[in-house]
Amino acid sequence: MSGATLYVYAIIPGGSPAPTITGIDGSPLHTVDADLVSAVVHTHHSSPYEGPDDDVKRWVLEHSDVIDQCWNQAPSVLPVSFNVIARGSEESGATATDQLRRWLQDTGEELMQRLNDLAGTSELRVEINLDTDHFSQNEPEVTALKADLEGKAPGVRRLLEKRLQKVQKQLTETAADRLYPEYRSRIAAQCQQLQDYATTQRPEGAVSVLTAACLVDSAHTSQLGAELTQIQEETPSAQIRFLGPWPPYSFVDIDAGLVTAQGQTGSV
Amino acid sequence: MADKDLTPPRSSAVEQSSAMQPTRDPGATLPDLLEVLLNKGVHLNLDLIISVADVPLIGINLRATIAGIETMIEYGMMRQWDEQTRAWVQRSLTRHLPMAEGEEVVAAMAASHYQDDFYGTWRPGRAYLTNKRLIIHRRDPAETLWQADLDAITSVESFTESSIGGEERLRLKVVLRDGSDTTISALDAKHLLSLIRKQRQLPEASATGTAATEDEGPTMNGTMWYLESFAQGAMWRGGRATLTPEGLLTWKSPMDNRPSLRIEPSQLKAVHPEKHTNPTDYAQVLRLETDRGDIRVASPDLDRWQQALGKQPEKSQEVTSGTAGE
Repeated sequence: MSGATLYVYAIIPGGSPAPTITGIDGSPLHTVDADLVSAVVHTHHSSPYEGPDDDVKRWVLEHSDVIDQCWNQAPSVLPVSFNVIARGSEESGATATDQLRRWLQDTGEELMQRLNDLAGTSELRVEINLDTDHFSQNEPEVTALKADLEGKAPGVRRLLEKRLQKVQKQLTETAADRLYPEYRSRIAAQCQQLQDYATTQRPEGAVSVLTAACLVDSAHTSQLGAELTQIQEETPSAQIRFLGPWPPYSFVDIDAGLVTAQGQTGSV
Repeated sequence: MADKDLTPPRSSAVEQSSAMQPTRDPGATLPDLLEVLLNKGVHLNLDLIISVADVPLIGINLRATIAGIETMIEYGMMRQWDEQTRAWVQRSLTRHLPMAEGEEVVAAMAASHYQDDFYGTWRPGRAYLTNKRLIIHRRDPAETLWQADLDAITSVESFTESSIGGEERLRLKVVLRDGSDTTISALDAKHLLSLIRKQRQLPEASATGTAATEDEGPTMNGTMWYLESFAQGAMWRGGRATLTPEGLLTWKSPMDNRPSLRIEPSQLKAVHPEKHTNPTDYAQVLRLETDRGDIRVASPDLDRWQQALGKQPEKSQEVTSGTAGE
């Protein structure tokens, strides 16, 4: 294969300022430019990044720092996933730069369209959990079970505690089913788009009601925050995580996948 | 990075009366950042770009904890990923389990096989539903506990059984063409059942089911589009709607964690057909008048939905516990 590869961080509109920081492991950054858009890259001399988890975490953070800076300087940015590397072509002898530039040239309009769509937006993440113990504390079934626990032998107690936890969880799950549509529509009213995501961080002693990535007009972040404050005040047992603002990582979708297709055919 | 940085930040629930402020603190957001940067971003043209290629790029441990991959596998949602992630997942799933040419895992979840020998024992492992087989495999020590070609399966039914702990558990009874049958349990037996049926193109539970008991089915369910409102306009989203015998209408997109629509019979005031652009071939949609405002849904089966929803028993006004002001 012909020579060096290019590690790609982000796509930015043509003419945007290039990032001033360094990339992963201090790699100097440059851009590969086509007519409409540019790619932020570093020249890469090895295989994709691979290693112990702690290294990967550091690399991912350094990768995201680059995207962040692009996002702060350029009107808009399309973040590229970790470990995306462009290489040259063995057949044609084209270098990685040639290949990447051609791709930017060929898909420039589509990329620019998406960049325009995403200009002025941020991704925010909202996670709402309900604390099962706190949430169900006034339920008759729970108070009865708790009263039952008093003065019981440890073995019996353990069984009852297990049952109590199960009841608490069930009550909270039912409430979560009821609250989800309400929270979702209230949050959606403050967003341009909303996407549920699965999280593996199972909340301890809590039930996850909603985990959503929100595409928000950057100027309206505080409105979403105010809605969350409202939810928090109404429901003291809600634990709310509110993350961001980030570049619109979850809303890039340039290859017209399912979601975009629906949006196009169905938006009104 | 120190581990303590990764503890979930409950403190981000701000106790101030003004708008809650989002946090960018990497200590709080790292797991989320990892997830998005490893799974999201521009989908680059695969001809020029090597992404994950054939290299297991990152420690399995990290990768496996990301983005609910496990959950998505359990739910047979592979199609939600791009080719490369799927290829990566297929490889890591089947590293210890030989696959035939063109065989792909559709879903995998914790499961047990009931070995009906002299003692009768449950042997735990993992159920793999592929496009060709149903396999119960134990990883360590590696042993395929049971498997069958999908072609050889004539029926799959669910039934409930009391476990040793006294809890009711849903089991699956798989009957093969040679007349033999086997019993398996799975983390989400109901879902595995529907996936197997779908993959095998088997009908729903037969009316002459032997020991099989099925929950009382919904009155109606099927494809439905829901017009969801956002800050700037609304968007039709595809999903499935279910109407229970009690009159509860729910709608869920496969992309969502819970149903986005949940209309109790007491909340539904009226159902009006109305002209509205929508993704189906019909010119009309249904406007559901509820105590929370109007909701619009579309369906290729609009008439039947209108009928089913229209004959909901009218109930007296009840105060619902919701707080959404609309």
